[in-house]
Amino acid sequence: MDGQNGRPDGDARLDGDGRPAAQTAVAADGRDDVRPDGRHPADGHGETDADGEEVLVGLRRQARHLLAELPGPVRRIRLCSGTTVLEVQWHPDEAAGRSPVPPTPPPAGATPPAGAAVPGPPIALIRPPVPGRATVRAPIVGTFYRAPEPGAGPFVAVGDLVRPGQPVAIVEAMKLMNEVTADRAGRVVAILVGDGQPVEYDQPLVELDPA
Amino acid sequence: MFETVLIANRGEIALRVLRACKELGVRTAVVYSAADADSAAVRLADQAVRIGPASSRRSYLNAAAIVEAARQVGAQAVHPGYGFLSEDADFAEICADNGLTFIGPPPAVMAALADKSSARALMSRAGLPLPAGSVAPVATAAAAAEVADAVGYPVIVKAAAGGGGRGMTVVRHPAELARAYARTRAAAQAAFGDDRVYVERYLTEARHVEVQVLCDSHGNGVHLGTRDCSVQRRHQKLVEEAPAPALSAATLDGIAETALRGALEVGFVGAGTLEFLVDAEERFHFLEINCRIQVEHPVTEMVTGIDLVHEQLHIAAGVPLRWRQEEIRLHGVAVECRVNTEDPERDFAPTPGRLERFTPPGGPFTRVDTHASAGYLVGPWYDSLLAKVIVWAPDRELALNRLERALEEFDIAGPGVHTTIPFVRRVLDDAAFRKGRYTTGLVDRLLAPPSPLPSTAPSPLPSPTPAQRSTTTPTPRAAPAAEPDVSNRRTR
Repeated sequence: MDGQNGRPDGDARLDGDGRPAAQTAVAADGRDDVRPDGRHPADGHGETDADGEEVLVGLRRQARHLLAELPGPVRRIRLCSGTTVLEVQWHPDEAAGRSPVPPTPPPAGATPPAGAAVPGPPIALIRPPVPGRATVRAPIVGTFYRAPEPGAGPFVAVGDLVRPGQPVAIVEAMKLMNEVTADRAGRVVAILVGDGQPVEYDQPLVELDPA
Repeated sequence: MFETVLIANRGEIALRVLRACKELGVRTAVVYSAADADSAAVRLADQAVRIGPASSRRSYLNAAAIVEAARQVGAQAVHPGYGFLSEDADFAEICADNGLTFIGPPPAVMAALADKSSARALMSRAGLPLPAGSVAPVATAAAAAEVADAVGYPVIVKAAAGGGGRGMTVVRHPAELARAYARTRAAAQAAFGDDRVYVERYLTEARHVEVQVLCDSHGNGVHLGTRDCSVQRRHQKLVEEAPAPALSAATLDGIAETALRGALEVGFVGAGTLEFLVDAEERFHFLEINCRIQVEHPVTEMVTGIDLVHEQLHIAAGVPLRWRQEEIRLHGVAVECRVNTEDPERDFAPTPGRLERFTPPGGPFTRVDTHASAGYLVGPWYDSLLAKVIVWAPDRELALNRLERALEEFDIAGPGVHTTIPFVRRVLDDAAFRKGRYTTGLVDRLLAPPSPLPSTAPSPLPSPTPAQRSTTTPTPRAAPAAEPDVSNRRTR
């Protein structure tokens, strides 16, 4: 019992289609000494809160640009204002199929027992929602999809305006597609979960800036 | 053995299964509802998946969500605990269709045994004695009256699909039968979507004795002796002990051997329990079979030294039983009582609330199975079982003394929270219970006013006060339950 959330058959399933994921790591401050975990070596640099917020805004802007130019579906995005890192992973093939077997699960939302290895953040989560901001949440546990079918355009993209009742995603559970609809009007600020990733009940999926 | 098992339950049984898995080196994953995010099982499991809101219909009873969670964590097997989906043959089949081992009997066996009527027919064919009554469902009130006249009153009208103490009515006079028949059918339709009912003779002063069996998938089986579960309210057990007291060795052996024969003949696999009613002449009658681990399984574990959840896991993994019948030895006496957050003075009405204090007892041969701790919120969404106190001793008298001692130590307090501890202590004080000569009528007798015994004179019902200490709450007499029968059925 190691408290980790890896599957016995390894990371190959993370892609769902058995292909390796493309990956890049971009340090927003131009440095190239990013470690495999996306962090800079400790350098003693500090930031003020205001600086941090400004950097985060910049990171978000960069992320949106990157997302628009990616050749395949997004697998993972990592924003990190404290150490100024933006990391994006994507599937290299535009036509990446749906996962027949869901990938590595998210761990519990609870604190692990003392002495156990601390599980990482849920693999499904690109980033946590900003506290206080409106979110559209998962109505059921299952697999999150941004588009109604493979190859189709996504229901919504960052920057789109949505109205109450508009479909924004689907969550597949037991081969049934459960439509996820916005419960309020707003502008899509972020898609919080990667396409094809497992989600828990009530997990924030889409972040909205109320209109 | 499985690499990962998904535990599809909550509360103390989720924790119990989790512990068994860990001891066998099996990775654990639990599902949980939004109300159980802070539960001990979630905290201790290797993984946990939130599957729905507090409503059990949308979480612990949501087969699709549970199978999705099992897929997410890469589980090979699902342990359903007790209650919820534990005896749902459809769920077992859905698991199988999705490549998951359901830890329980094969779906077809479960389906046949879940229906009381078909279970009776199967067990009758296997040679088990049934209470007098209709084997098949009765289609009309006239047919029900015919059966009742033939077996003699009182009778009990039971839903074929019944469970949880629901869907049954005791009828003491012929004039009441037609109405009771119609009412039970309607209730059965509403509760279970199945209005079939049957009629059997109701034994008023019977003992509820059950037999734990273990059967593997290779045709082997053993029984692990008897349990007496006659202390019931609303058809739900309060105190259980192993072995059943004050019965001859021949009767105990006869019930146990009969039970095992029945289980093997219907192709049972896993840990199961066959329930019997035993009358004053020590004749026993098969009632039903439970296809799951039960709340009271620890008393059998205490007298046999066999971990029943370990065995469930081994059996589900296809491992042959590790014992022959002659290797099963029973030692001493074990007694369990359920600590429910209920008010015995208000017909055992649930009393949810926040536990400000929760200090379980300790000491030798004293086991407390619980998911609660100080600060725990007993919510209104699930059942009221808070803890089980199980003690063992070489003889029954010492076991009962030990249980009294343990209950005296148990400190539970919270605003508005009551527990069954004071009532259980009254049971332990009862002279008939002490002698082991009690029946399913015991709780009614204890609740019946007025008591002639000055030592247990009633006191006014105290209104709930903040931080009321339930272990010291006086237990005055209350009016008898509206439904006086306390036999023939219970949930877990």
